[in-house]
Amino acid sequence: MGTHKKHGFWHRYFFSLDHKDIGFQYLLTAMFMAAFGGFFVYVFRYNLAFGPSDIPLYGDLAAKQYNQLVTNHGAIMIFWVGMPILLAVIGNYLIPIMIGTDDMAFPTLNKISYWIFLLSCIVLLSGFLMPTGAFGGGWTMYPPLSVSDFGYNNPNTTFWSNFFTGNTFFLLAVALEFISMLMGGINFVVTTLNKRAKGMSLMRLPLVVWMVNIANLLFMFSVGPLIAGAFMLLMDILVGTGFFDAYRGGDPILWQHLFWFFGHPEVYVLLLPSIGAVGEIISTFSRKPLFGYKMVILMVIIAAILSLVVWAHHQFVSGIDPGAANIFSLLTIIISIPFAGMVLSYLGTLWKGNIRLEIPMLWALGMLATFTFFGGFTGLHLGSNVFDIYAHDTYFVIAHFHYTLFPTVFLGGFAAFYYWYPKFSGRMMNKTLGLIHFWGTFIFFNTIFIPLFWLGLQGQHRRIYNYSAWNDLLMQPEHIMARQIATVSLIFLLLFQFVFLFNFFYSLKKGKKASKNPWEANTLEWQTDSPPPHGNFDPYPVVQRWPYDYNHPEKELDYCPQTES
Amino acid sequence: MNIFPESISQIGSEMDKLFWIITAVVGIATVITLFLFIYPIVTRKRNKTKEEMYMVGNSHNKRKWVYIGMMLLFLGDMYILLKEHPIWESVEQTLPEPDFKIVIIGKQWMWNIIYPGPDGKLYTDDDVMAYNELHVPVNKVVHMDIKALDVVHSVFLPQARFKQDALPGRTITRWIKLNKTGEYDISCAEICGTGHSIMRGTMYVEDFNTWEKTMADIYKK
Ligand code: HEM
Ligand SMILES: [Cu+2]
Ligand SMILES: [Cu+2]
Repeated sequence: MGTHKKHGFWHRYFFSLDHKDIGFQYLLTAMFMAAFGGFFVYVFRYNLAFGPSDIPLYGDLAAKQYNQLVTNHGAIMIFWVGMPILLAVIGNYLIPIMIGTDDMAFPTLNKISYWIFLLSCIVLLSGFLMPTGAFGGGWTMYPPLSVSDFGYNNPNTTFWSNFFTGNTFFLLAVALEFISMLMGGINFVVTTLNKRAKGMSLMRLPLVVWMVNIANLLFMFSVGPLIAGAFMLLMDILVGTGFFDAYRGGDPILWQHLFWFFGHPEVYVLLLPSIGAVGEIISTFSRKPLFGYKMVILMVIIAAILSLVVWAHHQFVSGIDPGAANIFSLLTIIISIPFAGMVLSYLGTLWKGNIRLEIPMLWALGMLATFTFFGGFTGLHLGSNVFDIYAHDTYFVIAHFHYTLFPTVFLGGFAAFYYWYPKFSGRMMNKTLGLIHFWGTFIFFNTIFIPLFWLGLQGQHRRIYNYSAWNDLLMQPEHIMARQIATVSLIFLLLFQFVFLFNFFYSLKKGKKASKNPWEANTLEWQTDSPPPHGNFDPYPVVQRWPYDYNHPEKELDYCPQTES
Repeated sequence: MNIFPESISQIGSEMDKLFWIITAVVGIATVITLFLFIYPIVTRKRNKTKEEMYMVGNSHNKRKWVYIGMMLLFLGDMYILLKEHPIWESVEQTLPEPDFKIVIIGKQWMWNIIYPGPDGKLYTDDDVMAYNELHVPVNKVVHMDIKALDVVHSVFLPQARFKQDALPGRTITRWIKLNKTGEYDISCAEICGTGHSIMRGTMYVEDFNTWEKTMADIYKK
């Protein structure tokens, strides 16, 4: 435990081994990367709505740059915003204080994992400085386009000229990011298994801790094939081995299998921690136990296992055997069932609740609603292999997966952020600004992506710089208008994030002081000071009950901390 | 405002119908779920006893509504699968006898179309190549040998609701049968480099006589 002494800036932000500081470092880095991801999407969406010239804050956009921005937007949002926020920040900050211990099992490994993550950010962004520019072949990196722009490895190039390309840097950045997340993941799992406070049995763990761990295990199970694939792709790029070159005995579809074997579970890796945090919040602000806690965990494990065997639904028309596609369609559609169980349990938690519509609760409800109604349900359309023939690689897919990922990463992420902010900063966030931020984000998020569903159904295909070649099909006034509605909404959505940034830093200094347990919640982190001291607890808590005893009939208060007997 | 562009094939219209079937299943699920969302929020201030509120859901009986919901969705899922499967079989798992065959090759950034030439047979010396212009007869089964030269492309015929990736080093044979004459789009749906967004071809669906004349013109050149 040790004494709590104040450390300087350098110590806190660069060398600290404290899990809370490392979580904060991840948070700031991810916010920095989100600024890039958000700026890129602004530039390319502006181009789609208002043309490529004179984009404010950017200038003119060329077709090649369009592809680069789209590719890097996607990769950044998933690997450098979603994963660090949902796995590393939530995992680092919350696991030790929620299970009642002082720190991670391996603090040094934790520190190294952050350093590697930072390195991966630098490597990714330096891709833009390469002579041929950043990688622009789509975040899915389908070869042979990802080997070279022309689809083959030019024999006149050398190892080093192949090395200093956007392609290589992109691959290396992703690889480093994986290493970092694996180090973090090992740490989370070992910490959860070995360092729980006395009395904290597995069935007394808060849901979010379960979810972060399942997500990490799922990541570990699924990432192996992609690492093998990435190594082969790297060799194809650097020395021309031709693993994915059909003219030299390779197979481009092999990559697609290896990629999606990872890629599909990956979206669940993001989803689980987010939905876990949302579960905590819904229970707390409904003042009710989490309905069907054990069943939710079971359902999530079933969904995670199923998610390992649905990957080829990304490949219905890629040239795989059409008979096999039937099985993948069936499994994909079936995966809706465990999710239905989970969502219904959450709705059971809301049922008859004394719901308090605090800011974190608004985000959590917004997350659950948009994820279910637009993300989950359109998954049934796309899981149907027949409809996917038409919808594949159109904006219907774009809108669908943004309706799963945006709620997961941002709506769920903000829910968690507003909920635990008093704990990590010791201060309350301004509520009015929080309301403005929530409604601004929520409304404009929907007005961005609903028009994109329609454009997709109209046959608008993705990763296209300019639709003027499709004059009759895609350049009618209503198409142009739909694109403009989406883009203007996006600009508003981005502007509303400044409200958040202001609130974040302003409240850090000027916010109302937070008590230990401002939301009257049960889990252990609320039983220690806000912010928790170095070492977290003094003395260590002893856990007496599960975390969801809200409105317990035998208790006077409407909540009952886990430490209370 | 229409939802889909016009449909020019029987199969395409069936796929559109499938979209609405799925939307209906999903719509019913949405209405039920939306009620479960909104009702507790609207009634949040009503007085409830602690006994009422302490709902843990720790036995199968207490969770029966969750199970019923899952069961209903399962039925919906099965209904969707039942409706879609025959369409998939006829589009992807059967290959009706062709009336006419062509080859379509994606390359950066155009579509090469190979016609069989006067002898009516593909892959012979008199084959004729055209660029970005595909002429097919209406109401006939057309086979397409889909290939790519350099990177992955994807033949996307939006009005025909047809899509198939084109892979370097592989030939994938698929069929279409179109029931409306006119000029339609060929898009490339898979990112293929800088020119991906200029990779457009035109498909001309012509009645049989016009089409024969067009073919004769092409072969003369
Ligand atoms: C801030 C709101 C966002 C907007 C308006 C937005 C918009 C878009 C659009 C329009 C595209 C398609 C571009 C094209 O195909 O030409 C796209 C691609 C993509 N976005 Fe987003 N996005 C947002 C946030 C996110 C988030 C939060 C994630 C993930 C966590 C994400 C992940 C992706 C991915 C993976 C792609 C595919 C990239 C590719 O085609 O290679 N986006 N985004
Ligand atoms: Cu192409
Ligand atoms: Cu293309």
